[in-house]
Amino acid sequence: MASVFSGALQLADLDDYITPSQECVKPIKVEKKPGKAAAKIRIEDDGSYFQINQDGGTKKLEKAKITLNDCLACSGCITSAESVLITQQSHEELYKALSFNKTAAPSEQKLIVISVSPQSRASLAVRFKMNPLETAKKLTAFLKNLGVHYVFDTTFSRNFSLLESQREFVKRFRRQTEDKRALPMLASACPGWICYAEKTHGSFIIPYISTTKSPQQVMGSLIKGYFAEQQHLTPDQIYHVTVMPCYDKKLEASRPDFFNQQYQTRDVDCVITTGEVLKLLEQEGVSLSDVSAAPLDAMFSSTAEEELLGHSGGGSGGYLEHIYRYAAKDLFGIEVAEVQYKPLKNKDFQEVTLEKDGVVLLQFALAYGFRNIQNLVQKLKRGKSPYHYVEVMACPSGCLNGGGQLRAEGEPSRELLQQVEQLYESVRTETPEANGSVQELYEQWLGGAASDKAGKILHTEYHAVEKMSTGFNIKW
Amino acid sequence: MRAGSASGSGMATLTLSCRLAAHPDSRCWFVAWSPGGALLASCGGDRSVRVWGRQGESWVCRAVLDEGHQRTVRKVAWSLCGNYLASASFDATTCIWKKTPDGFECVTTLEGHENEVKSVAWSPSGSLLATCSRDKSVWIWEVDEEDEYECVSVLNSHTQDVKHVVWHPTQELLASASYDDTVKLYREEEDDWVCCTTLEGHESTVWGLAFDGAGRRLASCSDDRTVRIWSSDEQGEPGVACSSTEPSWKCICTLSGYHTRTIYDVAWCHLTGALATACGDDAIRIFEEEPLAEPQQPTFALMAHVPRAHAQDVNCVAWNPAEPGLLASCSDDGEVAFWKYQRPECC
Repeated sequence: MASVFSGALQLADLDDYITPSQECVKPIKVEKKPGKAAAKIRIEDDGSYFQINQDGGTKKLEKAKITLNDCLACSGCITSAESVLITQQSHEELYKALSFNKTAAPSEQKLIVISVSPQSRASLAVRFKMNPLETAKKLTAFLKNLGVHYVFDTTFSRNFSLLESQREFVKRFRRQTEDKRALPMLASACPGWICYAEKTHGSFIIPYISTTKSPQQVMGSLIKGYFAEQQHLTPDQIYHVTVMPCYDKKLEASRPDFFNQQYQTRDVDCVITTGEVLKLLEQEGVSLSDVSAAPLDAMFSSTAEEELLGHSGGGSGGYLEHIYRYAAKDLFGIEVAEVQYKPLKNKDFQEVTLEKDGVVLLQFALAYGFRNIQNLVQKLKRGKSPYHYVEVMACPSGCLNGGGQLRAEGEPSRELLQQVEQLYESVRTETPEANGSVQELYEQWLGGAASDKAGKILHTEYHAVEKMSTGFNIKW
Repeated sequence: MRAGSASGSGMATLTLSCRLAAHPDSRCWFVAWSPGGALLASCGGDRSVRVWGRQGESWVCRAVLDEGHQRTVRKVAWSLCGNYLASASFDATTCIWKKTPDGFECVTTLEGHENEVKSVAWSPSGSLLATCSRDKSVWIWEVDEEDEYECVSVLNSHTQDVKHVVWHPTQELLASASYDDTVKLYREEEDDWVCCTTLEGHESTVWGLAFDGAGRRLASCSDDRTVRIWSSDEQGEPGVACSSTEPSWKCICTLSGYHTRTIYDVAWCHLTGALATACGDDAIRIFEEEPLAEPQQPTFALMAHVPRAHAQDVNCVAWNPAEPGLLASCSDDGEVAFWKYQRPECC
């Protein structure tokens, strides 16, 4: 099986799927019953294990299972069992939730909410040769026909991620003299990058990473917090699915930081990729272009009068551009008309510089793909990084080129990516400040932008994974 | 020690000329000749790189580079200008050493691999460096005039430990050998590198690779106890890009039945065309192409065989780039040996 994870994760050995393998060092809890000392075990041809009792009877033994969290928390083989992911986070799981609703008693049924990323929508739009709005409407109709109750757009929650990143940057910039690790601020929206940073550079790199939650996880908080309250439901009565351009988002949703202990539920219960949406369509025997359009759910959607809205600054969320404009204005009183990108070594490493009278005020960079992340980290380690902010993304070309996006059918993948980028950018953009519902939510739900609640709900933490050095198993 | 040919195709000899306890009480993993052939670098389990120079009939240690690495130094490589040495270590780093009037100075440590770096090689232009690791990746680094290294590509094509990397002698074409039994070739495309060919055929780990002088053929050696010769179907002069289609490489010859254990290294002499192998059965063998065979269906004859070339596994063989027939080898016994290979007609 070819790996589906981003390059950064592959390097961190995350793409070995094990159930568990010989190399796994995670101790597994085995339910032992007293009184049975020795037993023979027979291994069948299909790999299943049978215990042979003294009376000759056999009993099939349960397979040891490792959860995704075990893998994420362990640095042994650093493996995030693809098979674990597939059992916990897949479109099959969504099917299970949908069919559960069809047979369960009304009180047991769950409200099913799907939040679709604009990158996934653009990928589907290109495949089905439709514009993004048509795609959104037809996808809403298709999902609702399956039994989904609400379909939202993570562009909406991205407003919060952008606003919080902007404010966080300015705060960090102001404390750079007393806090040597305030800058550069590194983007936090890409889970592939976060996972790599935690596992490989741990406590060195973590202080630099923005604490702002990604749009997926802000959406998780919105749905399981604010929206649940509005619906008079407890968080566990909602099944929240996101549609993402990226497999690594499944890892993000599984982080313990985003698990509600009280209700034993995740903010995002299941992440499916754009490709898995295509699988759903295929399984249902439906072509998205043939579905009759449905109106979009207005709440939590960046829509105005039946129009989709997006953010400027490229297919990975526009963090650099938003922070750059905000910081230029807030820190230096400069209105930036157009953000000028200067490609460096390759197209995935670009610089943006704000100068005044020959003095560099702000120096930002985009660093996409593992090789550029690597150079950035090495520069940081040597104290040679000139940047104040870096939009770091694990995938070359960013999120529109995520591992979960639809692959080219015949045409070269570069052309497909260009088409997806074009459609993605065809959506009218607005600034997060201009979105009235976002401002209202800050007041109503979070108690103001600077409140403790906003800080708690819209930000997260990172955890260094201790390296385990195992002396055995050396291969020359 | 002298050894004659095991085959009937004339007697060639491989004669020991010097033996050094290069890395005492340790293993010697690899030896590399400087481009001019005057110096030999060796590396080993003692975490050091040693540089050897000729003194009369003997070879003496000119420099010990022992402050760069925390663990075994697995491979060492000279830049084409001869002014830099790169050492790949199990401590997950690659050190770049610059030649100074007093010896060698570590100018950069390349970090990034997750774990053991297994091999390192400089491109023919000298501006690119390739490294590979147990983390299954191959990295390409670019160096600028200020000795600053930047990673230009991370290639995750192999599914297992990558054992060796080697550049084409004239083109910017890189080959890697892996525990996944394959050899992969890489080229630059747009502004990144891509794997353009996978050579499948070996039935176990591929340990070593060597291009011939013209770069039309590639030899690979394996744990499956064979050496395979791969040939490019590229027409015309190598280095001249003719069409957008990739030249395809196919196996035109397999040397099997000669080696009784894993073959750890293969070296193709760019001066004589002789092929040397380093084997886990402690032996060194020399092969030469039969002159009358078809170029696309060559046969190779075993010309010389030294059964007990070293007391333990032979890890590496290297032909001197300037002096025809001068071969260096090293072994798990910690020794480096120098050999003189002579063809029958030279005698």
